[in-house]
Amino acid sequence: MMNPNSVQPKTLLLADDLRKSYDSSRVALRGLSFSLQAGRVLGFLGPNGAGKTTSIRILTTILEPTSGRFYVDGISSEYPEKIRRKIGVLPEGLGFPKHVTGTNYLSYFGQLYGRPASDAKAVAMQLLKDVGMQHRGDSLIGTYSHGMRQRLGIARALVNDPQVVFLDEPTLGLDPRGQKELLSLIRRIATERNAGVVLSSHLLSEIEGICDDVVIMNAGQVVAKGTVSEVIGQSMETGAQRNLIRVRVPASSVTQAQEVLEGVPNVKQVTLADVMAGWLAVQVMDRVDGDSLEESLAKNKVLDALIRAEIPILGSETGGGRLQDVFLQLTAEAIE
Amino acid sequence: MSNQVAPTNHDERSGSLLPVWWLVFRQELVELWTGGRVFFLLILFTVLISVTSIMREVESQISLIPPPEMVFLTLQSIISFGLFIGLIIGADSISGERERATLEPLLLTPTNRRQLVFGKFLAALSPWPIAMLLSIPYLVFMSQGDEVLGQALLLGSIVGTMLAVAFTGFGMLVSIWSNSNKISLFVCLLVYVILLIPTQFIGQAQKGDLGFFVQQLNPMQGSSSFLEYVLVNNRPIEEQSAFIIATILSFIIVPLLLFVYAAPRLALEGDAPRFTLPRRRTVAPALLVLALVLGSAITIPPLQASGKANVSFAHVSHENPPAAPPLQSEQAIEIAIDTEYQTLKTGDAVEFNTVVTNNGEQESPRMLVAMNIINLGKGDPVDPEDWSPERTQEIEPIPPGESVEQAWEVDAILAGNYMVYMTVVPEPDGPDSTSQPISSPGIHLTVESFVRTNPGGVMPIAIGIPAALIALTLFVRKRARRSSATPASQSDE
Repeated sequence: MMNPNSVQPKTLLLADDLRKSYDSSRVALRGLSFSLQAGRVLGFLGPNGAGKTTSIRILTTILEPTSGRFYVDGISSEYPEKIRRKIGVLPEGLGFPKHVTGTNYLSYFGQLYGRPASDAKAVAMQLLKDVGMQHRGDSLIGTYSHGMRQRLGIARALVNDPQVVFLDEPTLGLDPRGQKELLSLIRRIATERNAGVVLSSHLLSEIEGICDDVVIMNAGQVVAKGTVSEVIGQSMETGAQRNLIRVRVPASSVTQAQEVLEGVPNVKQVTLADVMAGWLAVQVMDRVDGDSLEESLAKNKVLDALIRAEIPILGSETGGGRLQDVFLQLTAEAIE
Repeated sequence: MSNQVAPTNHDERSGSLLPVWWLVFRQELVELWTGGRVFFLLILFTVLISVTSIMREVESQISLIPPPEMVFLTLQSIISFGLFIGLIIGADSISGERERATLEPLLLTPTNRRQLVFGKFLAALSPWPIAMLLSIPYLVFMSQGDEVLGQALLLGSIVGTMLAVAFTGFGMLVSIWSNSNKISLFVCLLVYVILLIPTQFIGQAQKGDLGFFVQQLNPMQGSSSFLEYVLVNNRPIEEQSAFIIATILSFIIVPLLLFVYAAPRLALEGDAPRFTLPRRRTVAPALLVLALVLGSAITIPPLQASGKANVSFAHVSHENPPAAPPLQSEQAIEIAIDTEYQTLKTGDAVEFNTVVTNNGEQESPRMLVAMNIINLGKGDPVDPEDWSPERTQEIEPIPPGESVEQAWEVDAILAGNYMVYMTVVPEPDGPDSTSQPISSPGIHLTVESFVRTNPGGVMPIAIGIPAALIALTLFVRKRARRSSATPASQSDE
């Protein structure tokens, strides 16, 4: 008799060496392989141009891969129409007709998926309730705010009871409260519907909070994958993530600050984390030695050097052991 | 937000109860009409028709343009502007949705792409019948009671619908293949202008065999020429069929290309089609079909194509000696006419009958009956081509003592004093003989100028229809706004 505890979770999405190139000089994807189990949320990360949207478009049958295959609930990518019945998607571009009510819009999509009109309307109203928009169902979409449209888009992605839900930047443009509510909704989609969720986002801290698994991409290839703790752990083992301090200086002083910091003893590497916002990631010491006094002093010297150079310090934080740090390190390494 | 997410129900649904094209069509109709885009284009349409109608009405007072021509010119404007609406909506239908990011969700559904395009196509075509309906008052006014109205409405609807289908389909094809909405609209506008200009400025370059061929290749110009010859010049439809071939072909080929080739390949990224060269064994038949199509257009006799009837008369050879005395049988031929005189107005028609009787004892030869019209004021012959759709009729040999009746129609084109008479011309026995034509009594036609209307007479229609449409648009928009609940700011997160 089979032990219930030994039952493997159902694999809903399996990507096998997906590649995409538009011509010999434009390679968008260099081999994407991962799997996603039922009830889990997979964070799909990468800097702009890493190939995230291309990957999602391939996995949602909008684009054809140059080579490789994927399977949704066991259905091969050779049958895109069957796959479309199994997936729900919130694309990156969020477009809606303005002159249709939210209920009618969802009902329309329900019917496109083969539901009878009455059933489609009932599902539409339930989904609006699920995303907290039951009071605005009869309003024209043109009157919705950005956050309401995001929620309507998620409701649309769920209209066919999908096995796998793809959400491309769902929190983009939302205020902190809206982001929190939406991420909570995404978590519930996975747990209560037992669906697999692929979540592409730039909000690394939030992804770390709700994702079970993560795939980090850079320049069209996977640079890390696994559970969130596995990916962070792998990076920690390399030692690169522990001795990190992030400092924020005025954007106009970023180059000067980088030059100053590269001259400080014990500084191993200075990375431009976010040039526009003025963030620099500074890695100190060659050896990992925990939160040693030596490491703390080294970090103090970083700040001291900036003060001496009369570069305003707008903010600073010590890093290490976080997904954001792993992301910055892996993507920076790949760029180098 | 709600704390509950509806429990999952991963069931398989084989298909929708309503066809996908109908769902898409219905949805697109709502967006196009309540969104105001179609209303805006229709208001523009009626304003343009109003302005051109007023200008023509004023012009008609100066140039004495008869009602059939006024109807034709108005119909030409209606078709030209009407199909422009479908072209613009078609050009925006796919590339516009790409830019507004509303296409991707549709492509993510398991719907058939062909049905998706078909639903959008029908919605883009929906303004055309409304435009045609809105045009009826203008045509009724311009016809001034002339019977050309019925034919104009029928032919205008048929030809206009074929062109609207072709142009809307063309707009959608360009839209499917364009990555940018601007490019799609630009290409469609350019093609529209290129095809429209020749219909507005017919010059010498369009005369001659090549000129007529070029006219036939342009569906807009071909259909315009077709309507002009049939409605204004009273030419039979079958005689002018060459001008309508391009319209019929575009009506068939464009939708075929759209639904058979382009629609199944509809993708998120617009991309011009890459037609691969067909295999060698299919090239020959394809070229053959193309040659046949082009050949059929080229080989149409220019005179027929241009509306010049290839009418021939049996005539006396002047190379031969003076004619021999007429045969007894010819002397026995008699032609009677049932009308003596009539007063009518320009644009009116008079119908009458002739009876040719063989009073002889032998069977008559084959005969031709020809219509002649003389301007009594100037003494000049009138070109009957413009006055009657049928200038001659052939009579088979008539047995002794029997009669044959012919029906005729004369359209009064210009005001004046005219004599219409018919001539029976028996067929000579051979090259060395002649025959004696026999004339009928004349019909005295007094043609008065057409009823002049007040130049401002079209004003109520020209102002009333656009104004009514604007009022309807405002009403629909107000109603749509009212259906919307509280503003976003009040219930936003």
